Amino acid sequence: MAKEEILKGLADAVVDMEEDAAVAYAERAVAEGVDAYTAIDEGLAAGMQKAGDLFEEEEYFIPELLLCSDAMNAGMDVLKPHLVVDEAAGAKIKIVIGVIEGDTHDIGKNLVKTLVEAGGFDVIDLGRDVKPQIFADTAIAENADVIALSTLMTTTMLGMPKVVDILRERGKKDAIKVIVGGGPLSQSYADKIGADGYAPSASEALKLLKKMYA
Amino acid sequence: MDDLSPKERLHRTLAKKSVDRRPVICPGGMMNAAVVEVQENSGRRLPAAHANADLMADLAKEVSLDTGFENYGIPFCMTVEPEVLGSEIDLGTVACEPKITREIYPDAASVVFRNESDMLKSGRIAVVSEAVAKLAASDSDVPVIGSVTGPVSTAASIVDPMTFLKDLRKRPQDSHKVMDYVTNFLSAYAGALIDSGAEIISISDPTATGEILGPKMFETYALPYINRLADYIRGRGVKVILHICGEMRAVRSHIPAFRADAISTDAMVNLKNLKADYPDITTMGNLSTYLLEFGESDKVAARTEALLNAGIDIIAPACGLSTASSLKNLRAFTGTVKEKV
Repeated sequence: MAKEEILKGLADAVVDMEEDAAVAYAERAVAEGVDAYTAIDEGLAAGMQKAGDLFEEEEYFIPELLLCSDAMNAGMDVLKPHLVVDEAAGAKIKIVIGVIEGDTHDIGKNLVKTLVEAGGFDVIDLGRDVKPQIFADTAIAENADVIALSTLMTTTMLGMPKVVDILRERGKKDAIKVIVGGGPLSQSYADKIGADGYAPSASEALKLLKKMYA
Repeated sequence: MDDLSPKERLHRTLAKKSVDRRPVICPGGMMNAAVVEVQENSGRRLPAAHANADLMADLAKEVSLDTGFENYGIPFCMTVEPEVLGSEIDLGTVACEPKITREIYPDAASVVFRNESDMLKSGRIAVVSEAVAKLAASDSDVPVIGSVTGPVSTAASIVDPMTFLKDLRKRPQDSHKVMDYVTNFLSAYAGALIDSGAEIISISDPTATGEILGPKMFETYALPYINRLADYIRGRGVKVILHICGEMRAVRSHIPAFRADAISTDAMVNLKNLKADYPDITTMGNLSTYLLEFGESDKVAARTEALLNAGIDIIAPACGLSTASSLKNLRAFTGTVKEKV
């Protein structure tokens, strides 16, 4: 099978939410000696970006995007062991992401994680109901570039400025950018709490990061 | 001068009859006004009031008295249903609403279908029912609204929500079984609240949005199961208020198919346009909860007046209120509706 055919097969499997096909094409890539990094980047990730576009165009919604992500990850599991190490360890921008303390709604956060990872960023996921201190500690310890905070609830929004304050106290406010998103938030809220960016949706979050690190 | 009692006014509005002025309400559940200031003023505090019928009923009365909302609305959370169905919950604090700490089932296929009459005896169903009964027996002019979580959100509160959303597409048979089970349970729970004296049932289904599900899944799961729940409640002679979360462009054309007596929407939805496009809908909403928390009270009053001028039938907050919202703003909100006839 030609390399192009395999790459297209990988991308289509992701867009079509076909986990089994993603695995089959990934195995094919390995068998035929297609470079694992290329297979991920031009195959799986390209498919996920296409899925992200369909999401933005309101052709796909959250169930579809999650299934695309599953297909991508299934293919990834096959390809990852074949990655040449220095390719994998490039200077990726590192993002610490999570849902702020008090809130357990994590659908939005998971979408951002999926799209941002497919977009080539390195993501550390702290999960949901995460204390402000943990965000700051992890980001500092991991030398992260960005903290991405999410919440759906107005009550828990108030945890967000705390993260900014902790970074400021520890002299890391400039080194670590804070971006926020979620139902009740807005650009004006982000500005008010001293965050570095706001995105109204998962695809906008990816665009925002790409703009910040172009 | 008001000619109608709050009870008559709301019932007449839901029956599409003429009224002296618009009602202003906050139905409870996800959308409740048990803000910190009311709790402090009354000494009736959460989380205790989530689990004690006397406190719950008293707090509901204090909310109405203190804020000016013209109804009693309970419970003050969306966790009664998932708790009964087996999920782990945390009742929160004075300022933080209860949340689900762990959904009990990993996927739709794992859901164990429990006996309905056992479920009706478990969790906080008795607490909410008793609180409804106390409010209904208090012989006031204030309508008692019982709030239930909608079927999609309830299902996504017992099955891991990420897997649940995928299962909707990937395993439709298992998903329909879970939706069927949850809808039967919710109908029985709503029935128990009606038996206790709830005059109106409010359904909020925040996971059932166009943004999350998309039009196809919305039509397959949200619409039929919400309608089945609504049909049951209306079959009992009780009116239904349905709150749809989010920006609903993707599913807007489905909205008239809901068999509810009023449709409440989020702040980003233009209710005036919705009403213009679908004149049969009784509209409810939709003052920004962001404005209620962070805005100045004169701005709150101005936005409220705009809602009145836009012809919205029932004035209400657009979404769940922050517990930090000030009484000053809530009073500006309800006061404006009562003054501007």
